[in-house]
Amino acid sequence: MRLLVIEDDKAIQGFLERALAEAGYQVDTASDAKTGEQRALEGIHDAFIIDLGLPDMDGLDLIARCRSQGSQVPVLILSARRSVDEKVRGLELGGDDYLTKPFALAELLARLRNLLRRSSVSQKDSVRLQVADLQLDLVRHEARRGDQVLQLTPQEFSLLEYLCRNAGRVVTRTMILDHVWRMRIDPATNVVDVHIYRLRSKVDYNSLSPLIHTIRGVGYVLKDA
Amino acid sequence: MPRILQTTAAWRISICTTLAFALGTAFAFLIVYSLFAKTIQDRSDAWLSGEAEVLARVSTDTPRDHLYNRIIGEVAELAAQELPDDRNARGQRLNSVFFLETDPDGNGSPLWVGPGPADAFLKAIRQIKLVPGIPQSVNVEEWPTAFRVVERSESGRTIYLGLSGRGTRYLLRGLTRRFLLLWGCTVLMGFLISYWSAYRTLRRVQSITDTVARIGSEDLGERLPQPVNSDEISRLAKTFNHMLDRIQSSVNELRSVTDTVAHDLKSPITSIRGTLETILSDEPNEKWRDSLGDAVEGLDRLLSVLDTTLDVAEAQAGALRLDRSAVDLSVVVRQMVNLYQPAMEERHHEVIVDLEDHVVLDADWGLLHRVLSNLIENEIAHLPEGCQITIRVRSQDRSAELVIEDNGPGFPPEIRARAFERFVRGKHSLGHGLGLAFVDAVVRAHGGAARVSDRPSGGATITLSMPASVLHTA
Repeated sequence: MRLLVIEDDKAIQGFLERALAEAGYQVDTASDAKTGEQRALEGIHDAFIIDLGLPDMDGLDLIARCRSQGSQVPVLILSARRSVDEKVRGLELGGDDYLTKPFALAELLARLRNLLRRSSVSQKDSVRLQVADLQLDLVRHEARRGDQVLQLTPQEFSLLEYLCRNAGRVVTRTMILDHVWRMRIDPATNVVDVHIYRLRSKVDYNSLSPLIHTIRGVGYVLKDA
Repeated sequence: MPRILQTTAAWRISICTTLAFALGTAFAFLIVYSLFAKTIQDRSDAWLSGEAEVLARVSTDTPRDHLYNRIIGEVAELAAQELPDDRNARGQRLNSVFFLETDPDGNGSPLWVGPGPADAFLKAIRQIKLVPGIPQSVNVEEWPTAFRVVERSESGRTIYLGLSGRGTRYLLRGLTRRFLLLWGCTVLMGFLISYWSAYRTLRRVQSITDTVARIGSEDLGERLPQPVNSDEISRLAKTFNHMLDRIQSSVNELRSVTDTVAHDLKSPITSIRGTLETILSDEPNEKWRDSLGDAVEGLDRLLSVLDTTLDVAEAQAGALRLDRSAVDLSVVVRQMVNLYQPAMEERHHEVIVDLEDHVVLDADWGLLHRVLSNLIENEIAHLPEGCQITIRVRSQDRSAELVIEDNGPGFPPEIRARAFERFVRGKHSLGHGLGLAFVDAVVRAHGGAARVSDRPSGGATITLSMPASVLHTA
């Protein structure tokens, strides 16, 4: 997978390049819209990450130009602007997703995966998820750890399902709130952590090898240790 | 419609002008009426006096023989026929004239020319002290209208000449009836004309009000239609347009300032946060992991303060962009309580929800979520363990009301009055003092109001009321 990052801020460009490379992508960069447009039209990239505040052209115009020249590559918009209209316009002009700065790397990677999957094959919806000895039956809403059926509330089940779907990948609190509760809020309390503690006490009970891990400052990951 | 009609200024103005017009014309009529009545009376009094004199002279000159009664009777009869306005529309005679002559000693039968028997007239005249030569009103039994009677004494004999007021009354009644008919029509027409013109004028004011209200809450780019003439209302529209220009430019300026602040602060934070996060993902040793985690969480808190500050600033300046849709307040509260239940249980709080269904607002869904999350977090942050929190949603008239109350210590007195100001927080508060300021600003941006109070039994109450969606209230 080859990505093109068009971002004028060198520091952000730098860490994006490193982080994306680490996540297994090939990364090309451009610092202004003109070079960005040239590279974009080479037709070798699977996705573009475009910052809206470019020095020589508005990112929105760049997206519109790419689209008008026939490029179908999915675009992830980055913006430090606060305006909601901007987001709406961005998505109308052909952007596929929109992320406001500052963003958690985990979230950027999740969105990117989503974009790339959306542009290739549609996601297969499975009815059963499995991570190590944890099994989720999505039809019967039943979770088992080994032979033991876990007594989960519907909320806990949704949370566990979300963690399982992203098994091995870090999810942030914002992502959890967004996907499990469908809320874009920014809690000042440990509301998400409390849900995780409760879920963990049911999933990682006794001295079973823990599956739900906390990564401080980043989020949570469900994986076989 | 009628209920609304009575509250309109057009209605009130037209009622007032019509009332003034009706009273004025009625007053004018009263003056004309009394003048007219007086003139008629003067005229008939003059006739009475004149005729009385003639009759007195005839009575003196005529020898008192067997023809005397006939001659006087004829003369009196003739005099009565000279009367003007003496017939009604059907040609019936209206005025009844009587002539009475008595002896000085009062003996013998008096000479009587007139309708009916003389007794009743004689009795009525004797009851009243008549001044000779001056006509006076005399009420006679069984006669609905009074008689004007003049007395005249001539050579020992007294003659009375009386004229019934029936003709005058008939005339005045006719006048009054015509006036009332005409007056009713004029007043009605006056009302219709004044209502129509007031309605037309005020409809322009109403359209200005509607447009300005819409512009205020939605898009500042819209303007009132440029007026053609230059009357007061057109000048009002022009003034509004100028004011909107100024508001729009200051709102745009504020937005660009907040965007710049956001951009300039967020770009460096993004790169710092990203760098820290890449290091964290590499699973460094424990010592570094904790420090880096703290740093990232600190940055997140900083950002949250920054974002909320800018949101509050924008909302207070009326520059908050609302993405409105129909939102059921009770559904949002239920979701929020679901989310926060475990966190509240952790602090041994009991949550009671009392929700009315289908309380629909025309609101920004995301902002409403943040408002509720702020309110609940405010409770969690300020209550000692083991309290009871009640959340109620009600629809009242055309507004939706959300009440969140607790049985905790209540607001500290030094804060209560300023609870919705920015950076106001209790001495022991862990918050940044923006939560309630944000709540207040967002509620206001939706056209509602927030207030705090202490419950008499202890504990704090926060009440939000917002206009309910017009489209969705049954």
